[in-house]
Amino acid sequence: MDSHAGSVRSWRRGDLLFASGGALARLDPRLAAPAALRLPIDVPTPSVTRIEIFDRPPAVNSFQFARSVEPAVRPPRVVRPRPVEPPCEEPAPATDPAAPKRTRIAPPRDVVKLSERFFFLLQPDLEAILETSSLAFPRQPFPFQLDGMAFLVPRHGAVLADEMGLGKSMQAISSLRLLIRSGEARRVLVVCPKGLVSNWTRELADWAPELLVAVIEGDPQRRRWQWSLEDVPVKVANYEAVVRDRDLVAELGLEFDLVVLDEAQRIKNRTSNTSEAVRALRRKRSWALTGTPVENRAEDLVSLFEFVAPGHLNDRMSPRALGAAAADHVLRRTKDKVLKDMPPRMNRDERIELSPEQRETYRRAEEEGVLRLSALGQEATIQNVFELVLRLKQICNFDTATGESAKLDCLEAELEEIQASGKKSLVFSQWVETLGRLKTRLARFGALEYHGGMSTAARDEAIRRFKHDKQHNVLLLSYGAGAVGLNLQFSQYVFLFDRWWNPAIEDQAINRAHRIGAAGAVTVTRYLSADTIEERIDEVLRKKRDLSDTILSQAEAPASSGLTTEDLFALFKLAPPIRAAA
Amino acid sequence: MEQTPGEQPIDLAFGFLTAVDSPSHGLFGGYLLVDPAGRPLEFHCTAPVKVSRAQQILYGATLQSHLHGRQIGATLLAEGTVAPELVLTDFEPMLHVRSHTSLPVALVTRADAAVAPNAEASSFAIGSVSVSPHAQDAGLGEALRQKLESLVASVDLAEPFERIRAAIEEAQRH
Repeated sequence: MDSHAGSVRSWRRGDLLFASGGALARLDPRLAAPAALRLPIDVPTPSVTRIEIFDRPPAVNSFQFARSVEPAVRPPRVVRPRPVEPPCEEPAPATDPAAPKRTRIAPPRDVVKLSERFFFLLQPDLEAILETSSLAFPRQPFPFQLDGMAFLVPRHGAVLADEMGLGKSMQAISSLRLLIRSGEARRVLVVCPKGLVSNWTRELADWAPELLVAVIEGDPQRRRWQWSLEDVPVKVANYEAVVRDRDLVAELGLEFDLVVLDEAQRIKNRTSNTSEAVRALRRKRSWALTGTPVENRAEDLVSLFEFVAPGHLNDRMSPRALGAAAADHVLRRTKDKVLKDMPPRMNRDERIELSPEQRETYRRAEEEGVLRLSALGQEATIQNVFELVLRLKQICNFDTATGESAKLDCLEAELEEIQASGKKSLVFSQWVETLGRLKTRLARFGALEYHGGMSTAARDEAIRRFKHDKQHNVLLLSYGAGAVGLNLQFSQYVFLFDRWWNPAIEDQAINRAHRIGAAGAVTVTRYLSADTIEERIDEVLRKKRDLSDTILSQAEAPASSGLTTEDLFALFKLAPPIRAAA
Repeated sequence: MEQTPGEQPIDLAFGFLTAVDSPSHGLFGGYLLVDPAGRPLEFHCTAPVKVSRAQQILYGATLQSHLHGRQIGATLLAEGTVAPELVLTDFEPMLHVRSHTSLPVALVTRADAAVAPNAEASSFAIGSVSVSPHAQDAGLGEALRQKLESLVASVDLAEPFERIRAAIEEAQRH
């Protein structure tokens, strides 16, 4: 067919063209003309219409991709001993063999170069990658967890904001494992709260057993050595260590291919040492894991993004604009959406009448407190209000004069029933002192304590006994220590003896039990003392919950976005002083 | 990059060739080379080719073979820097590329789809698809099947064509 092009180029006037079967031929009219035919000498020149044929091949864009680096044989990993506890049993995800799911790794919006977008688009589906990478999993990931991995892997800045209990750490570990396997990451740092370091080492051992892990801990000399370890791809440090070793990390010139922040709401205060130290880490990828990207205010998300994608969000943006700008970086799933078969969570708000003596103590304390605040006038501070709130909440738990507790009476009765059914319960309180009093009264249920005042070893031992010993059916936890990281899905009852300031923390507490692997329905009982400060705070908390939903769903902003100074003063029907309101 | 013991040999590749007809742009050709794990090694795609009515008339019955076999197929194959074990296509007119290459070429159809009209006795089922080698490669049926076994362990043979289509769609948006 190349000859056609040549034919066209050498057309002469008077040629006859024949098109047949795509072939273009030229005949000399003198040869083709019948002998009897006499052509007039002055025959007019026929007009010629040029028709383009495919005379040159189309332009081609070519892209070549680096081959993935399969892992070298690695030495056995033992940097810290594994905990002896067996992993909790989790149900196998329901799969439909007739319709195998294919999870595609889609390029993020901020990947602009076509070659880079092609790199993601032309990869096999995640299921195929996992199958061919010899990446064994201790349990088959749920489809939504594969979606989470497909979200994290291509992103340099990502917030995995799944509801607690959906396996954020597992998704992060499996994703960083893929990056290490493909050679895209060689140095990974996981930063988590101190109490969760052992959780992370356990999960890393479960989900990425071939990876060497170093925990940054011990004296300065030891930590320097740990930070410097070249051949350990994953390091785990708590937030305090990152703050403490900020200069050391800079001095060593460490740069990480990936930094994962667990419980990333820790950096919501932009000016805190923690936030500054974390943001100072030199890194290529920044992933934040949090079930509560917006705890109190929209600014929480902006602060988080100062780590994830600096400058991408700012405080001047409306909640709707924040949601839109953050959308491609944030993935949030809730249990009701992704775990249709998960046991239900039943919420009971139990309104408890204070005993007459308790009521009297409460009334006196409130009246005196409000009088004091009124007397302070413009001198009243938020701290004064806060102290009064705490005092009243404590009276709602226990009468300071008589030690009576209507809540505890109620709890005791409920625990008796639960004990009879052989089920286990978690009880949360804001105060360690309250936990101590509860422990005394609930000794017959084998109540154990778990709070920040205990050593790590003592806390681990409490969890072990609660899990395995049938004599211990009640675990008393502080919100501070027990709301994050623990997997207590064998517990079917959760009691919030008093309320935390923030609904997100309460959710975290509840999700210690209501998470993947929960054996049955989880019943959550929230105690509220009738006609007290607790009810008033509850009302504010409900509004705060709306704020998180607003940003994450890009809905309209609610009227109130948190427990503001005005809110606190309004709890006592007081107007805030002018300077405080400003 | 230094090869480590776990790496797969670099010289084994499989080609996937198809065309996507875009009403607004024309016909795009896409050629994806993958390793035995199904991971992309190279991707080549053509600028859109628009066929005019006059060209349809002039080429008549030879249009398909010229357009898909020569213009798009052969052009794309010439761009590959790795010679694949064979070239698979899910678009029957692309089989014409066999006239312009020494590589074996085969048509992939869903196993539950109707048998291609010119399917040869050398066709075989593998994974969820049927593979029908070009008539010129009719004698290679068993050899091709064996070569494809490693790839089928990693990917469904119909799946890489979806990737090509997704990439071409992306290229149109870009």
